[in-house]
Amino acid sequence: MKFLEIFRFEIAYQLRRSWPWLSFIVMIVFAFFSTRIAIVPVTLPQDFILNSPFIITAVSVFSCQIWLLLSPVIAGDAAARDLQTLMHPLMYTSPVTKSYYLGGRFLAAFALHALILIGVQIGSLLAVYGPGANPEIIGPFRPMAYITAYCFIALTNAIIATTFQFSIALFTGRPMASYFGSLILFFLSYPVTFALYFGGFGNRALLADPIGVMAIMNEMMSKWTIVEKNVRMFTLEGAMLWNRLLWLGIALGSIALMYLRFRMAHRISNGLWSRLMRKLPRREISTADIELSAQTQVYLPSIHQSSSFRLHLQQIIATALSSFKTIAASPGGLFLLIAFPMLLTFVVLVEMQHWGISLLPRTPHLLMRHLTGLLTAPNNYWIMVPLFTIYFSGDLIWRERDVRMSECVDATPVPGWVLFLGKFIGLALVLATLMTITGVVGLIVQVIKDYHDFQIVRYVQVLLGLQLTDYLLFAALAFIVQVVVNQKYVAHLVALTLYMLIIFSSFLGIEHDLLVYASGPKWLFTDMRGLESIVPWLWLRLYWAAWALLLSIVARLLWIRGKEVRFNTRIRIAVQNFNRPVKVATGISIVLIIGLGSYIFYNTNVLNEYITDEEHVERRAQYERLYGRYQGITQPERSATDLKIDIDPIRKVATINGTYRLVNKSNFPIDSIHVEPAFYVTTSIRFDRPLKLLIGDEKLGHYIYRLNKPLQPGDSLILSFDVKFEPQGFNSSRGFRNTGAGIGIFDNGTYFTGGALPVIGYQPLRELSDAEGRRKHGLPRQVTLPAPGDIDPGVASSSPATFKAIISTTSDQVAVAPGELRRTWNESGRSYFQYVSDVPINGQYIFFSAKYKVHQERWNNIDLQLFIHPTHAEHLERLLRSVRASLDYYSSQFGTYPYRFLQIIEQPGNFIGMGVDGSGVITGGEGFFLLDPKGEGFDAMFEIVAHEMGHQWWGVQLKPAFAEGGGVISEGLAWYSAMQLVKNEKSREALRRFMSFMREPNPWPPIRTGLPLLRAMDPWANYRKAPYAMHAISEYVGEARINNALNKLIKKKKFSLATTIDLYNELQAVTPDSLKNLLHDLFEVNAFWTFNTKQAKAEQKDKDNWQVTFDIEAHKVVADSAGVETEVPVDQWVEVGVFAPAKPGEILGKPLYVQKHFIHSGEQSITVTVPQKPARGGIDPYNLLDWEEGDNIEKILVEDIK
Amino acid sequence: MTLQITNISKTYPNGVHALKNVTLTVPNGMYGLLGPNGAGKSTLMRILATLQEPDEGTVHLIGSKSALDLQHVNVIDVVKEKDLVRKTLGYLPQEFGVYPKSKAEDLLDYFAILKGFSQRKSRKQVVEALLRKTNLWDVRKQKLGGYSGGMRQRFGVAVALLGNPRLLIVDEPTAGLDPAERVRFLNLLSELGENSVVILSTHIVEDVSELCARMAIINKGEILHEAEPLKAIEGLKGKIWRKMIQKSELHKLEHEYNIISTKLLSGRTVIHVYSEESLGDFEPVQPNLEDVYFTAMAGQYQQHVQQ
Repeated sequence: MKFLEIFRFEIAYQLRRSWPWLSFIVMIVFAFFSTRIAIVPVTLPQDFILNSPFIITAVSVFSCQIWLLLSPVIAGDAAARDLQTLMHPLMYTSPVTKSYYLGGRFLAAFALHALILIGVQIGSLLAVYGPGANPEIIGPFRPMAYITAYCFIALTNAIIATTFQFSIALFTGRPMASYFGSLILFFLSYPVTFALYFGGFGNRALLADPIGVMAIMNEMMSKWTIVEKNVRMFTLEGAMLWNRLLWLGIALGSIALMYLRFRMAHRISNGLWSRLMRKLPRREISTADIELSAQTQVYLPSIHQSSSFRLHLQQIIATALSSFKTIAASPGGLFLLIAFPMLLTFVVLVEMQHWGISLLPRTPHLLMRHLTGLLTAPNNYWIMVPLFTIYFSGDLIWRERDVRMSECVDATPVPGWVLFLGKFIGLALVLATLMTITGVVGLIVQVIKDYHDFQIVRYVQVLLGLQLTDYLLFAALAFIVQVVVNQKYVAHLVALTLYMLIIFSSFLGIEHDLLVYASGPKWLFTDMRGLESIVPWLWLRLYWAAWALLLSIVARLLWIRGKEVRFNTRIRIAVQNFNRPVKVATGISIVLIIGLGSYIFYNTNVLNEYITDEEHVERRAQYERLYGRYQGITQPERSATDLKIDIDPIRKVATINGTYRLVNKSNFPIDSIHVEPAFYVTTSIRFDRPLKLLIGDEKLGHYIYRLNKPLQPGDSLILSFDVKFEPQGFNSSRGFRNTGAGIGIFDNGTYFTGGALPVIGYQPLRELSDAEGRRKHGLPRQVTLPAPGDIDPGVASSSPATFKAIISTTSDQVAVAPGELRRTWNESGRSYFQYVSDVPINGQYIFFSAKYKVHQERWNNIDLQLFIHPTHAEHLERLLRSVRASLDYYSSQFGTYPYRFLQIIEQPGNFIGMGVDGSGVITGGEGFFLLDPKGEGFDAMFEIVAHEMGHQWWGVQLKPAFAEGGGVISEGLAWYSAMQLVKNEKSREALRRFMSFMREPNPWPPIRTGLPLLRAMDPWANYRKAPYAMHAISEYVGEARINNALNKLIKKKKFSLATTIDLYNELQAVTPDSLKNLLHDLFEVNAFWTFNTKQAKAEQKDKDNWQVTFDIEAHKVVADSAGVETEVPVDQWVEVGVFAPAKPGEILGKPLYVQKHFIHSGEQSITVTVPQKPARGGIDPYNLLDWEEGDNIEKILVEDIK
Repeated sequence: MTLQITNISKTYPNGVHALKNVTLTVPNGMYGLLGPNGAGKSTLMRILATLQEPDEGTVHLIGSKSALDLQHVNVIDVVKEKDLVRKTLGYLPQEFGVYPKSKAEDLLDYFAILKGFSQRKSRKQVVEALLRKTNLWDVRKQKLGGYSGGMRQRFGVAVALLGNPRLLIVDEPTAGLDPAERVRFLNLLSELGENSVVILSTHIVEDVSELCARMAIINKGEILHEAEPLKAIEGLKGKIWRKMIQKSELHKLEHEYNIISTKLLSGRTVIHVYSEESLGDFEPVQPNLEDVYFTAMAGQYQQHVQQ
C-alpha cells in the first residue's frame, strides 16, 4: 500500500512538471523526422521501406541515444529531490521502509521513462501513417516490429539508464549528477565502443556498448541484405543478446549495491577528500578563544575607489578562477580533464594501427583523426565536448542560485556583464585546459611509439587556435541559451536541440555557412599541404564571433538579477539597461555581422556560384529531361589527347591548353557534336572546321555544335580548348560544390583531375541517381544494376586514347601527368615536364604538383616512376618490391603489361589507402604512408600494391559492364591476383596470413545471404568471397589453367565490356566435369562449407611412420537472399593436411601430407600416415572452402611408442 | 541619510498582494520592521535591496554626497539606479546558501572583490577584520559546507558588512542564532547604525525593542503602525488590561472585549485586552513593545486613523 502510494505520488508529482511532457514530445518529433527524412546516419539502400523492421529498429536505437541525454532529469529528481530540497529528514523519519522508498521512487522513474519512450514508436508510426508520407515506400503494417523494438531496445535501455542515473544521483545526493551518469553511458555506447570496434577488438567490443547502438547497427547494417532489412524481424540473438544480458546484469548489480549502501540517515560529507582529511589532527577551538576574539575591536577598512576598468578586470578574473575550480573539481570536470584524456590515450594507442599494421603517429594524422572533432559534424568521441559544455554552462549560470547564494551576489555592485564574462572565461579555461591536455596526449602517444618529430607549434595552432575557437563559440551559445531561457533543464534541452539543428541543418534545407551557427569550412592538416582552408575558416569564425557578441548583449540585457523572472519585467529592465555603451556595443556587433557576412557572401555567392543541394538535384533532373535523349547517340571518339598545362601554385592558377583528336568510328556520318565542359573552370572551345553552336547551356553544361559538313566514318577532327582553373575566394562548406574532394591548387600539393577538361557526349553519370529524388522529379525509376545476362555482350567499351602533356610548375616542384616521362627542362625559372603515352590509355587523367621526391627506374622498357613526399620516402623499397613482383607475375600469367609507364603517386590528403585512376597510374593517400615500413608480420603494403597492380589488368584492361557482378570482375580478380602473387612470390604461410587479414570483419563483415557471385552486389562478395572462390577453383582445377582462362578473357574482351557470365564461360571451359558442381556451388548459388577438426591424434608406428587420425565434422548449406539456409550433403573432395612443427611466427610448418579425401556430411574419421613427427593438421587447411578460420586445423596429440 | 519609501505596491503573478501602498521614511540608525510571517517584509526588503521591482511607487536614498561616497549625487533612485545603490548596499537575505566546497576566507575574499575591494592589501585587511568580528577567524580555513546554521548566518553578516554599507538591509537575521550570538550580532549592527540606514526585519519583538530607535509594524502588505518604540509604549499606558481566565471562558470573552493577545502562564490563560477605559475585574498592565505589536495586529491603530 505504502509502496503504491510512493510510486503513485512520484509519478503524479513528475507529471505535473513540464519536463516529462517535453521529453515525450521531443521523442515523437525526433523519431518522426528520423523516420521521414531518414537522418539516421545509415546508408540506406535504394529500395527501402519506410516501416521496415530495420528502420523501426534503427530509429529506436538512435532515439534512445537522444533520450539518454534528456532522461537524467527524471531519474535524478526521483532519487535525490528529497536530499536537495532538504526534505529528507521528514521523509526518512516517516515509517516507510527503505525498500518501499527506493523501490517506489526507482520504479516510478523507470515507468516514466518507459512511457516517454513510447513516444519513439508514436513518432515512427506518425511518420509512416501521418500526412505527407510517400505511399510507394510503405510496406505492410507489422505491429510486432514496433513491439520488439520497444521491448528489446527501449525498455532494456530504460532499465539500464535509469539504474545508472538513479544510483549516481542517490549516491551524490545531487539530481544533476544523474546527467553525468548519462554522459558516461553515452560515451561508452558511441565513442568507446566505436573506437574499440574499429581498433580491432571486433565483436567483443560490442559488449562495451550499454545502449546497443553499435551492437545493433553493426549486426543489422552490415550483415543483413537489402531484402532482410525490409522484412526480417529484429530479435535478440548473438552479440546483441549477450550485450543486453551483460548490461542488464551490470545494471541490476549496481542497483543492488546502491540499495545495500543506502541508509535513511542524515548525510554527512562522505567525499573521499573529507575522509582523508579526517585522519589529520585538527586544532580544537575553545570557547575561550571565541569570547576573547569577540571583544577585540577591529578596524573595518572602507572600499578604496580604483578605476572601474581595473576593478572589473579583477572581478572577471576572480569569477573566472572560481568558476574554473568548481568545474574542474566536479565529477564531470574530473572526467573530462583526467579520465577522458587517459581513455583517449588508450584509444589512440589502440587505433594507431591499420590492417593490423602499426601506424606512424605523425602529427597531422593524430590531430586530424584523433585529437580533434568537427563541432558541426561530430563523428567521433569529441561529441562529448559540446555535450559537457551544455552541462557545465548550466552549472555555472545557475551556480549561485543552486546554492541559494544568488541574493548575496546580486546585491553587490558587480555589473552583470562582469559575472557573465567571468563565468564564460571560467568555462573557456576548462576547455583550454582540455585542449592542452589533449596536446599532451598526442605527445605521449608519439613518445610511446618512439616518434620524435613533435611539431609542437602545430599542436598549439590546431588545438588552442582552431579547435578551441569552435568550442568557445559553442560555449557562448550554451551560455546565452541558459541566460535567456532561465530554466536550467529546459535550457539544456534548448541547447541540445540547437546543437542537433546545427548538426542536421542540411537535412532541413539550411545549408549556407552564413546560416548555421559556428559552421564553416573544415580546416585540413596534412604533411604535404600543411594547414589548409584557414582563410575561409577565419572569416567564418569572425563572423560567428560577431553573432556571439550580439547574442551575449541580448543575454546580458536579459540577465536575471534578483527575483524578477517574469518575462515582461525582464524586458522592461532590459530596456532600462539599454544605455549608451550597450548601444555602442550592439552597433559594433551588427556592423561586424553585416560587414563580415557581406564579405563572406561575396566570396561564396558572387565570386563562386552557390548551389544548394536541392538546386543541384533539380539541375541534374533538368539535365536528364533536356538532354537524356542524346544518351547513346553516335559521337566521335577521342583517339589522342594533347595538353599543355601551366600550374602556378603561388597565384593559385592552372591553365590548360589542349586538343582532342576525335574520330568517327561508326559507320554513319556524324553531324553534331555534344561537348560538356567542367563546371568549376572557364572553358573556351574551338574546332578545326566551320560549325554552328546549336545549344549552349552554360548552367547545365551541355553544348551542341552542328558541323557544316558531317564527319564521315573514319574521318577525324581536332577540338581545341583553353581551360582556366582559378579558384576565386572561397566556397561555403555546405551546399553543393563542384570540385571533387581534395582538388585545388596549393602552395605544395596541387591536385586536379581530367574532370576539369571537356568531355564528349551526354554523361549518364551526371544523372540523378537516388531513387527518392528521381521520384520527386518525375523521372523514371532506374534499375539499380542490370543482371549480367541483360548486358549486350558486344557493347563497346570507351576507347582509349594516346596522351601527350607538357606540364610546368615552379622550379622547386615536380609536376606529374600520366605517361612516360620523356623530357624535363627549366625555362625562365619554371620546370617543365613532358609526359607521353603512345599506347592509348584509359581512365581518368590526374595532375599533381608538389615538392616530391622522385624515384625513376626502368623495368623491361617500362618507365617506373614513384612520386613521394620527401619525409615519407622510407616506404619506397617495399612499394618497389611489390610493383616489380606484380609486373613479373601478372605479365607472365594474364598477358603482357601493355603500357610503357607505371606511376605511383602520393596524393595529398590523409586517406589511408590506394587507388587506381587509370592506365599505369596508382595513387596512395598520405595516410597510406603512415603504415610503419619497419613493421613485421602481415605485409599490407606489398599486398595492397599487388591488388592495385592487379587492377591494371582487371578494371583497366578488362573493363566490367555496369551490371551485377561487375565488382567480381574488377575487385574480385584483383584480390585473387594479389593472393596468387603472395603465394608464389612469398609462401603459402604468407598467403595464410593475408587471408586471415581478409577475414577481419572490418571493413566488410561476411554477408552470407547476399546474391550469388554471378550477380554479386555487396562489397563482401566482391572483395572477399570472389577471391576466395577464385582461389579455391584455381587450387582444384590448377592455377595455370585458371590463369590461362583469365588471360583469354582479357584478349577476347579487349574492345567490349565484360560481365561475370563471360568470366564464368571461360572458367567452365577449363573446369573438368568432375568439378563443375564445385564451380556451380561457388558462383551460381550461395554455398557455405563448415569443416571442423574435432580431434587429431598421432601414433608412431615405427621410425619413419606416424599414423594420424582426425575426427572431423563437415557441413554444407545453401543460403537464399531472404536468409533461409538449407543444409545440403557435402559429398566432395576436400584437402586433408598434416604439417611439421612451425618456425616461430608461423602457424603451419612444412606440409608432410596434403591430399584430397572424399568427405561426406556429418562426423567421420580419417587416417593418414606421414614419415615424420607431425605437429598440426586437419581438414581444408588452406581454407579453400571453409572461409571461417578457427577449427580447421588442430594440434596433433602424439602418442609415443609403447 | 534617509531612505524615503513612497507608495510602494507589489502584486505577485499568483495574485498575492504583497505590498499595498507602503510609505515609510527611514532615518539614519536602526529601523525595525516588525510583522508576522507572510506580512510582506521580505518583499519590501528585496525591493530595497534592488532585487525586486515594485509595481508602483518610488524608493529614494537621500544623503550628503560624502555620506553616499559618491561624487555627483545626493539622491539615488533605488528602483532605477540599482548600480549606484549596490555600491553602498549591504544585504543579508532571510534565507541563503553558500558554495559548500569553498573556504570561508576564500569566499569572503571573492565577495570583497565583487564589492569593489580591488587592492589586495585592503581586501586582506577587511576579510580578516570581518572574520574576526563575526567570530569566524578560527574556522576560516574550513569548508562552508561544514558550517552550522549559526556560523553560516554569521558568514552572511560578514558579507553584508563588507565595505561599510550606508544602507544595510537585514532580513530576519537572528532567526538561526543562539542567544549569545544574537547579542553579539545586534551589537555589531548597532555599531554600524551610527552613520548608516539599517533596516532590520524580524518577527521577534525583542530584537526591535533592544535596538531600534524607530520601527514599523506591517501585516498583509500594509503598514499598521509606524512609531518610535518608547513613544509607542508610552502611548499605550493605561490602555492594556490583563486577566487570568479558564480556557473555556475565552470564547465568551472574545465577544465582549477587545482581546489583543492570549498567553499561557503556569497552565492558565492570561489575556491582554485593549481598552481606553478601565475594566472591572481586569488589572492594569505596564505595556511593553509586545503589547504595541499585538495592539497593532488587532487593528487598533488603524481604527484610530479612521476615527
